[in-house]
Amino acid sequence: MTDSPLADLHEEPVRLPDFVARLPGGRYRTLNPATKATFALVEALVAFAVRGWTGPTTMLVVGLAAAAWAGLLGRTLRVLVITSPLVLSIMLVNTFLYPGATDVLWRIGPLAATAEGLTAALQAVLRVAAFVVSVAVFSFTTPADDLLADLERRGLGRRAEFVVGAALQTIPRMRERAAEIADAQRSRGLDTEGSRWRRVRGIVPLAAPMVFGALSEVEEQTMALEARAFSAPGRRTVLRTLPDSAAQRAVRWLTGLGAVVAVAGSLAGWLRLP
Amino acid sequence: MDWVSRQFSTRVIALMPVAIAINIVLGFTVQKILNLPIYLDSIGTILVGVLAGPLAGAVTGALSNLIWQYAPVIGPGSNIGPFAVTAAVIGLLAGLWGQLGVYRSRPATGSTLYGAALLGAVVVVVLAWRIYTSPAYSDPANGYPSWVYGAIAIIGAIAAIGVAGFILIRRDAAGAAVAVAGAITGIVAAIVSAPIAAYVYEGVTGSGTDLIVAVLRQGGQDVFNASLGQGLFSDPIDKTITSFVVFVILASLSSRLVARFPLGERLAPSAT
Repeated sequence: MTDSPLADLHEEPVRLPDFVARLPGGRYRTLNPATKATFALVEALVAFAVRGWTGPTTMLVVGLAAAAWAGLLGRTLRVLVITSPLVLSIMLVNTFLYPGATDVLWRIGPLAATAEGLTAALQAVLRVAAFVVSVAVFSFTTPADDLLADLERRGLGRRAEFVVGAALQTIPRMRERAAEIADAQRSRGLDTEGSRWRRVRGIVPLAAPMVFGALSEVEEQTMALEARAFSAPGRRTVLRTLPDSAAQRAVRWLTGLGAVVAVAGSLAGWLRLP
Repeated sequence: MDWVSRQFSTRVIALMPVAIAINIVLGFTVQKILNLPIYLDSIGTILVGVLAGPLAGAVTGALSNLIWQYAPVIGPGSNIGPFAVTAAVIGLLAGLWGQLGVYRSRPATGSTLYGAALLGAVVVVVLAWRIYTSPAYSDPANGYPSWVYGAIAIIGAIAAIGVAGFILIRRDAAGAAVAVAGAITGIVAAIVSAPIAAYVYEGVTGSGTDLIVAVLRQGGQDVFNASLGQGLFSDPIDKTITSFVVFVILASLSSRLVARFPLGERLAPSAT
């Protein structure tokens, strides 16, 4: 039981509680969080920085394959649907209003659709789709706690870990609180559903209690952190260790290096892809 | 090193998650639920910058966008991640304004007060004029519909009256400095965002502001300048409003609380 950090403190080997010891299960989810994070970053980097068709298309296919392998294809496709306003906007603005494009495909009134604009629009849509799929697969398969625990084991400071972890916990709490405040204000007659101008006037009575309520907690949090030796020197012992392997480490380095080479080559111009 | 570690005291570390959550929840509500053409997603960033310093502000801004992008539920499907660079620059500038004492309350009366109100209004008009004559608007190939220029003139006038009114009603000369800081932050944010929007999203962001991009494109601007023009339209308004919101928040917090932050003494009301 040498893999338990507390083992050498006791004569009997320590059994860690289930919520610490239980490891993620399921295809793709069992990969180390650092591996999944590397994949997500590499997909985003290549999709955005390698221009043309090849970069974004390859990354979209890779992302969708990972989603399918993890059994998340349906959820990932639903996330893609959420981006439809952006996709629609990219398609319309670029197809009809692409600066300097002359090869007209067809005309609608004063607007002319151009092949150049359509190409730029489709490539931008592919970039967005590849990026969104990379984000969806990462956030559906990687609990934030696991990622933070793993990064702390690799040397992330506890301040950084606290900021990210606490922010992620605060967001749903604050959204709940915003809904409660909206209910409370509605019960005393505030109109939060009428015309746009009415909703705009509703921002202040909703946002002010939320912001001040949240800020009033900062002082208590500071005391609580100080009382628990937050600024003490030294490192914490990480109880929750997630499995990693030499193969995964090699894959992380290879994909990372491959992405850097592809992006550098594309930007410098010696890697010409369609 | 002291300059760096001072900005990340335990109190600042406790403030940062709250600031990030305020950015994300308010920004999400304003952009996705109310569907307004402003962002209001940097109140927390500017708050941390002003209270703690440039580095703390920059970290808060960048983390806000990255956490928003990768958070469960609201994250997948949004497109804010690449703009983490802009958010970091906004936080950096806020820290600079904090160190310069821009947000320090300056109660004033009589000619000082009216002078500050006039100065604030004049500076807003000058900045609006600079935006109006920037390359993103001034050399269109086909010319814009006149409402583009009319809208800028009307918004500039409303902003000037708003700033002067704020100064006179609160009897606080600091309003002029806050307006200038907010407008400059907005101009810098627009300049930083435009290449990101152009390079990553081919110029549009899927929100109401795309209409401005479409109008500028129709007027003959290229992808970059149309995004810049849209940013120069939206960002100074957004950042000036945000700066005033932060100023009001800071004025409403007890000075005992504010004084404990690294830049707290730069926020204490001046003796005069």
